[in-house]
Amino acid sequence: MTVDTGVPSGRERAERETGLRVRGRGRGLRVRGRGVRGRPLLYTSYAADQAIWNTPAKRGWTLALVGAVLVLPFFLSRDLTSLVTTVFIFAIGGIGLNLVTGYAGQVSLGHAFFMGLGAYTAAVFGGAGSDQVIGWGLDMAIWLPMAGVVPALVGLVVAPLAVRVRGLYLAVLTLGLVFIGEHVFKEARSITGGAGVGRAPAEPVLFGMDLRERYHLFGYILSREAVYYFVCFAIFVVLAIAARNLTRSKPGRAFAAVRDRDVAASMMGISLRRTKTLAFTVSSFYAGVSGALLVMVIGRVTPTNWNLFLSIDLLAVILIGGIATISGSILGAAFVVLMPRIVSELADVVPFISTSPSGGFLSVFQLQTMLFGALIVLFLVLEPRGLYGLWVRVRNYWKAWPFSY
Amino acid sequence: MTVTAAAAAQTCRTIPNRVRERAERTPDRICMRQKRFGIWQGITWREYWEQAGLVAHGLAALGIGAGDRVAIHSENRPEWLYTDVGAVAIRAISVGLYATNPPAEVAHLLRDSGARVLVAEDQEQVDKALAVLEQCPDLERIVYLEPRGVREYGHPALMPFSELLDRGREHARSHPSLLDEAAAGATADDVVTLIYTSGTTGPPKGAMLTARNVDFATQVLALGPGLYDPPPDESDVTLSYLPLCHVVERAATIWVNAGAGTTVHFAESIDTVVSNLHEVQPTLFFGVPRIWEKIHAAIHSRMGGASPGKRLAFRASMALARRIGDELVRHDGTHTARSRALYALGYPLLFRALRDRIGLRKVRAAGSGAAPVAPEVLRFFFGIGVVIREAYGMTENSAVATGNRRGRVKLGTVGEPHDGTELRLAPETGEILTRHPGNFAGYWNRPDKTAEVLEPDGWLHTGDVGEWVDGSHVRIVDRIKDVIITAGGKNVAPSEIENALKASAFIKEAVVIGDRRRYLTALIGIELDSVGDWAQRRRIPYTTYRDLTEKTEVLTLVQGVIKEVNTGFARVENVRKFRMLPKELDHDDGELTATQKVRREQLQDRFGELIEDMYNDTTKFAGGDLTGVHS
Repeated sequence: MTVDTGVPSGRERAERETGLRVRGRGRGLRVRGRGVRGRPLLYTSYAADQAIWNTPAKRGWTLALVGAVLVLPFFLSRDLTSLVTTVFIFAIGGIGLNLVTGYAGQVSLGHAFFMGLGAYTAAVFGGAGSDQVIGWGLDMAIWLPMAGVVPALVGLVVAPLAVRVRGLYLAVLTLGLVFIGEHVFKEARSITGGAGVGRAPAEPVLFGMDLRERYHLFGYILSREAVYYFVCFAIFVVLAIAARNLTRSKPGRAFAAVRDRDVAASMMGISLRRTKTLAFTVSSFYAGVSGALLVMVIGRVTPTNWNLFLSIDLLAVILIGGIATISGSILGAAFVVLMPRIVSELADVVPFISTSPSGGFLSVFQLQTMLFGALIVLFLVLEPRGLYGLWVRVRNYWKAWPFSY
Repeated sequence: MTVTAAAAAQTCRTIPNRVRERAERTPDRICMRQKRFGIWQGITWREYWEQAGLVAHGLAALGIGAGDRVAIHSENRPEWLYTDVGAVAIRAISVGLYATNPPAEVAHLLRDSGARVLVAEDQEQVDKALAVLEQCPDLERIVYLEPRGVREYGHPALMPFSELLDRGREHARSHPSLLDEAAAGATADDVVTLIYTSGTTGPPKGAMLTARNVDFATQVLALGPGLYDPPPDESDVTLSYLPLCHVVERAATIWVNAGAGTTVHFAESIDTVVSNLHEVQPTLFFGVPRIWEKIHAAIHSRMGGASPGKRLAFRASMALARRIGDELVRHDGTHTARSRALYALGYPLLFRALRDRIGLRKVRAAGSGAAPVAPEVLRFFFGIGVVIREAYGMTENSAVATGNRRGRVKLGTVGEPHDGTELRLAPETGEILTRHPGNFAGYWNRPDKTAEVLEPDGWLHTGDVGEWVDGSHVRIVDRIKDVIITAGGKNVAPSEIENALKASAFIKEAVVIGDRRRYLTALIGIELDSVGDWAQRRRIPYTTYRDLTEKTEVLTLVQGVIKEVNTGFARVENVRKFRMLPKELDHDDGELTATQKVRREQLQDRFGELIEDMYNDTTKFAGGDLTGVHS
């Protein structure tokens, strides 16, 4: 061993004194980076220990699920394909909100504003210009990132305000954001088209390919909905994995520390300002992207659509899905988007529910609203960890089999 | 190469020799893993041999030479192996100390062996050694592995392990041919290790095992089907958790590893064995009865707290398991079409998950030894598909005597004599005698004791009474010294009754008494975990161990177990009365040996009042008889 010139680090000292080399990765013939074949719990590296898909079963099931999602549009009608696409988009927004509210514990009611901001940024960068509105007609490869970056920058500007308050005050502050936003959207006619009019969304041209055209794949004709489906799914997967990685990295741990007790976190050397700012910025990026994709799929929207109810929808996504989980956000998005559809399908079967807004004992729309409210209350009371919590219970039941703990 | 030539010239191969050859043939293969900082860190054969070589040179630098003793006082970890192999590589003698040895025993072992260097694991062991340093005139150096807490001691005898390695590196530069010369000079009659007997009677004695003994044991246990059948190979994975100073673990870890090339995993500590087992999922597992009993008890106790659906599944599977177990027992441990069908039925329901949870899912061969185990426990494991084969051996014959072979398993026996082993029963006493190249060279510095057990013609007196079953298998009756002769003149083997009692999940210790008495009685120690759990479920409040043992409900529970066990024995063998041990037996208090065996004399001394209470027909202490209990 060479002579030490300086003070050895803790690890060096441990290695010197124990005569044992500490290393992050196992070596040898039978060892892979992930661990030892057939022994999923025998972790030979921290990478394997920390992996998202740390067991073969998880890897297998995830692949199966992705496979199922990829073949789904070939079996679904066009409107259902669109609906599932909306699930992906809401999941992106939900993940964004979960980062700031679930992980970092900063209640935000202002998500609708950032979504709207993303949508209009996309429209300005990617939409067609006219006498009334500005539009530069750029490629989706530019307008989609910009739809995230601009709201993120606005989030960065707003964050210092948000850092100073917490809890209820923060909720009110972000609520203000929605009202200011709605007003600005209504008045800025050259950008948004104005109240009651709106403007066409950005042109979905990705790397020169117009997504609205029909494409052929394995002898199938892909509808516009199916193309949107695949594009949104790809973006969703990338953003979801990025979020998952963020949450299990150093900033993610800082988020959780700030959520659990901000005073304790700052005593441990976590900068509250930086952590909260990061949470707001990243979250706004996600919201912006989901807003831009949402108008791409549903078409023209008026400025009044970006209101408090959209924010509450997103809160419902993470409350029902599961606070502070990425998978929960996805489950919640699926639930919130698909539930109204399921209810209206049921209406044809159940006699006392009418499908028209006025007639009958109970209209579909009333029922949807009531169910929505009831479910949020029920989840808050019975299973605060949401759908994901239910899943965890089921999983733990079988994981512990045949014991109970 | 000189070494290989020298090795070929020898009649036997030493463990360092085998390690070196593996290091040359498969240098980058992982030979052991140790969990440190939450990660199983792999160590290759090259590193193993390198480190062992450095220790050898380091010891040589400290003046250790052929025939000197090097003591190791540590839990199982790679450094144990480095030191053992390194010491033998320079023809020194390794001596293992149990990590639980109290200072007084440490003093005895160090003094008796005359160890010049002690490798101590951590502050705890260093403190013990420093406390008795004056009593051990031969001890010159204490090398510590974990510097935490020891760094600032500044005692002149202390030295960190890293310094030993540094000195070894220096020494290797100036004496590059040391290991080759030592290997060339080594003979089969070199004593390579002293293994101290656990000492249930009198102070521990150091059994000298020679290179030939170890080589024979390696041939039989690691390369042959002695310990595991079929024999282990390079794809096998083991967990090292029993004390390495015991001959069984030495065989199962060091000899099997070097002989067959298995991958050894070191449990973090004895407390984490359960979770380590779950992680490692070994393919070979050797347990002492206490381990099997504990796993068995833990399963039942945890199932007791499981949800109703799971309990139902467990009951259904246990009904299957009983049938499978019986079928396997009837067919000498081989599966029949029927047992296979039943097993296939229970596998998805419970067996797979249960075996996974207890860490035995991948076990292809399991063994039990070192003490007798209750047949019910074995039957349970047979039922869930883990066929445990009992083996028999002792320190003095390098753990080589008999073993149950695959497909020829007889429950309640320790199997057939290994190949190359001569075994007979002494005509008048029934004592088991063995003769083979593994018989030890004698007790260290105790020729008188050696003469008592080793006859000039090579037969070893094992001190165990045995009998033949079906002419091929051996059944151990008991230790000769432990056999009880009642006042009525009947011979009773207490260990059989004790094991039947200990098969209950609620009973940890049972000591049957009755030598020269009118009837048999027992001292009972409860299993705190499972009885505590049981009491909690019945809402019986308790404070301490003693308080719990004196609860009427618990006494009734124990009484029930005794009554049930009594039905399986003849009338004279029935336990008529019992008293509860007021404390958990402990090694530190001298009630147990380092291997957790009960020291009967100590116990009869210490708890004499309890025993007299039973035979004087008084009821001063908590206990009972077959009709009632009293606290």
